[in-house]
Amino acid sequence: MGELFKWDYSQYPGYKKYPHLFKPIQLGKLTIPNRIKYAATEDNLNDKDGFITDADVAYIRERAKGVVGGICCMQGVYMDEKRQGQGYVGQAACWDDKYIPGLKRLADAIHEERAVASCQLMHCGRVGAVEVAYCHGPSPVPQRLRIFRPVQVMTKDDIKRCVDQHVVAAERLCKAGFDIVEISGIVGYLVSNFISSYTNKRTDEYGGDIRGRMRMVVELIQAVKKAIGDRPLGIRLCSDELLDDVRGNTPEESMISYQMAEEAGVDYMSVTLGWQESIYPVISRDIPQGNWLFLAERAKKHIKIPVQMAYRLFDPAIPNKAIGDGILDFWEMCRPMIADPHMPKKALEGREDEIRPCVACNVCLARLFRDAPMTCYINPVCAHDHDPKFHIAPAEMKKKVIIIGAGAAGLECAWVAAERGHEVHVYDKLTEVGGTLLEARKAPYGDEELYYQINFAKAKSDKAGVQFHLGIEVTPELIDEEMPDTVVLAVGPKYIKGTAPGFDKPHVVGVLDVLAGKAKVGENIVVWGNKKPGVGVALYIAKQKKKVTVVGKNKDFAIDINPSFRWRYNAYLRQNGVTVYNDCDIAEITDNSVTAVTYDGYFIPIKADTVVCTERVPNQDLKNAVKELGVEVFEIGDMVIPRNLSSAVHDGYKVGLRI
Amino acid sequence: MPVDAEKEISRLWRALHSAQDSTIKTFYQWRNAAVGLFPNANPSEIALKGWEAMAHDLGKSYFPRLSFSKGEEAFLRQVAGLYVNTWQGYGAVVKVEKGSNPMEAFIKWERCPWPSFAKDFAAPLKEDVAGCDLVLQITLEMINTFMGTNFKIETQKAIPRGEGVCLRRLYKP
Repeated sequence: MGELFKWDYSQYPGYKKYPHLFKPIQLGKLTIPNRIKYAATEDNLNDKDGFITDADVAYIRERAKGVVGGICCMQGVYMDEKRQGQGYVGQAACWDDKYIPGLKRLADAIHEERAVASCQLMHCGRVGAVEVAYCHGPSPVPQRLRIFRPVQVMTKDDIKRCVDQHVVAAERLCKAGFDIVEISGIVGYLVSNFISSYTNKRTDEYGGDIRGRMRMVVELIQAVKKAIGDRPLGIRLCSDELLDDVRGNTPEESMISYQMAEEAGVDYMSVTLGWQESIYPVISRDIPQGNWLFLAERAKKHIKIPVQMAYRLFDPAIPNKAIGDGILDFWEMCRPMIADPHMPKKALEGREDEIRPCVACNVCLARLFRDAPMTCYINPVCAHDHDPKFHIAPAEMKKKVIIIGAGAAGLECAWVAAERGHEVHVYDKLTEVGGTLLEARKAPYGDEELYYQINFAKAKSDKAGVQFHLGIEVTPELIDEEMPDTVVLAVGPKYIKGTAPGFDKPHVVGVLDVLAGKAKVGENIVVWGNKKPGVGVALYIAKQKKKVTVVGKNKDFAIDINPSFRWRYNAYLRQNGVTVYNDCDIAEITDNSVTAVTYDGYFIPIKADTVVCTERVPNQDLKNAVKELGVEVFEIGDMVIPRNLSSAVHDGYKVGLRI
Repeated sequence: MPVDAEKEISRLWRALHSAQDSTIKTFYQWRNAAVGLFPNANPSEIALKGWEAMAHDLGKSYFPRLSFSKGEEAFLRQVAGLYVNTWQGYGAVVKVEKGSNPMEAFIKWERCPWPSFAKDFAAPLKEDVAGCDLVLQITLEMINTFMGTNFKIETQKAIPRGEGVCLRRLYKP
């Protein structure tokens, strides 16, 4: 097959900085010009019958641009008409020839960006059957989570039929124009169900020891390999299932599965880890970047084919070094290219400061699991790639715009408006940009990565010509003097104290002061508020070995954190000995105690020498005064309703487009 | 505002008992409603169908908490502990006692509210024993299927039979 498209990276700054990322590699008979791959990711953008939509084509095209000649892999397809293999409501289908034209649109879009088109066969096994009553699996082991369907045990005929469906689907994908075929065997999908000792209890030839449990996979690889001719065949397999608590595979068994897959004929191995049913964190922000590279290194010691890996490799320097060190061959990405589809392209072009950083919040995945279309916490355009309304276009009339507040919302609005041609001035009473994130980034377990969004927006603002006026408190008089056409209020929320007796005492302090180190706390601290600011400061203080109790009015803890990340915070609060009283408020504060009152009137005495207030309300201080000036006014971010970083960025972007 | 701790605890105590009573009462209220609706059906079969539904839901609720990380002996004790927690939630006085070997544990109910409510609602006491047995058998089978174990549970004594305690042996054969 040789090389599909000629790429010469030598003139780009990224080539010198990341030489290992931009050198070619051989996958089977195909030469890939670089080591970059957008890994298959469901997006729920296709229609309910599995046909490819314009939204999905546009979404993939942007990622294909981003890989600058590397591999762009479409989402995994389901291959059975009965839809037992379907794991996502918007998953692409490939059980009939009628799907080929749509799939060809994806392959063509990737090729038009001169990238290598890869596709994936994905039977979702015990986490599948989203639209039908029973899913398929090797054994009737129930799932740990209630959301999944009961498992119907596959007969030998079912297994044969399943292999045949993979083969026919692979042939269709080849007809559609894809250059690489990949089999998905990750996170609890069918292939991994057969391999795992947790879910495969069969006593026939498809069960037993790891070699027996691999039998179905080996047959599958051999059959698909035969069907796709010269095209490379890859597979994604767990190097560590993280299922030791339910008697899953040992790492040694996983390495045997790798060797058997290689012997069966795969041309590359994509190293993955963890299942949806694992109780350990794998990809959330609390996991350090590069944490899992040892698994790629272990794989390299057991197999000879190229090894690919994603999993918290957000900074190009990490995979570049890993490839240089010989412990990895290919840099895969999902979430970093959801947040910024052109991420590797920007690294190549020396525009790294313009990379919109993934904050590893997992809201993208959380949405998919809840049958919602892909979205990104930090990238407002994600999954709207096809919609011109979401793209930055020159303004019809140039305006002078004053943005008050250099936090996440204000900065996002600033660069978008400036790129559209407006004259943009950003004011902030602080002497540096970042707003609330200046303090919020100090919360533990990875929250410093939240501030990367500020770095990104500041760099974009500087390049777009935004003028900053820091250390200036904006008054109506100042606005009147500047005579702007438009004022954008992005002043952030107002932090409040409660009305119960004792909130005026000197040991009642604000969350920002605590995180900034301006307020001292004692040994027994009550945090008032059980949303993200309360969680962050509670953990920040608890890490100092102090006793922390959270008292919050919301019925559920951390309601503003998505469920796919909230469980991590629950675990950290337990580990750090933090007590949480939800659905409660503070009834009284004395010099050495707090009385909490439950929603139904029970009183709880809590020893406390410090109370930290984290509750926020909309900040309307400037609003009426500015409106009286008769200029166009927009309000964005937490000043409207205190929410989170995502809302601030999305508000800022959308208003930046509207001005 | 000094908090009267004794008062708060007694209020919570009453609320807890009320909630426990409501849970069990609701079961028997539904049982009697279903028996009235299907006069030709065997009332005990109806009750057991209800117990079966409870068991399946209970078994599912156990899955996220199960862990084999510390080996089979610890897992057996964990399963016994889950049953203890469940019945404590209903208001029973129940504990785990060691068996004669590491793969055996006894779960001992010294007091249980279920038979009292069975009497109040005129349900036969033998139905209460059968219901508990069914819940334990179904949930244990679910646990065995999930974790690949082969534990058994057998009833040796039962309060409704006038034996003073309920005693169940959880073991690996």
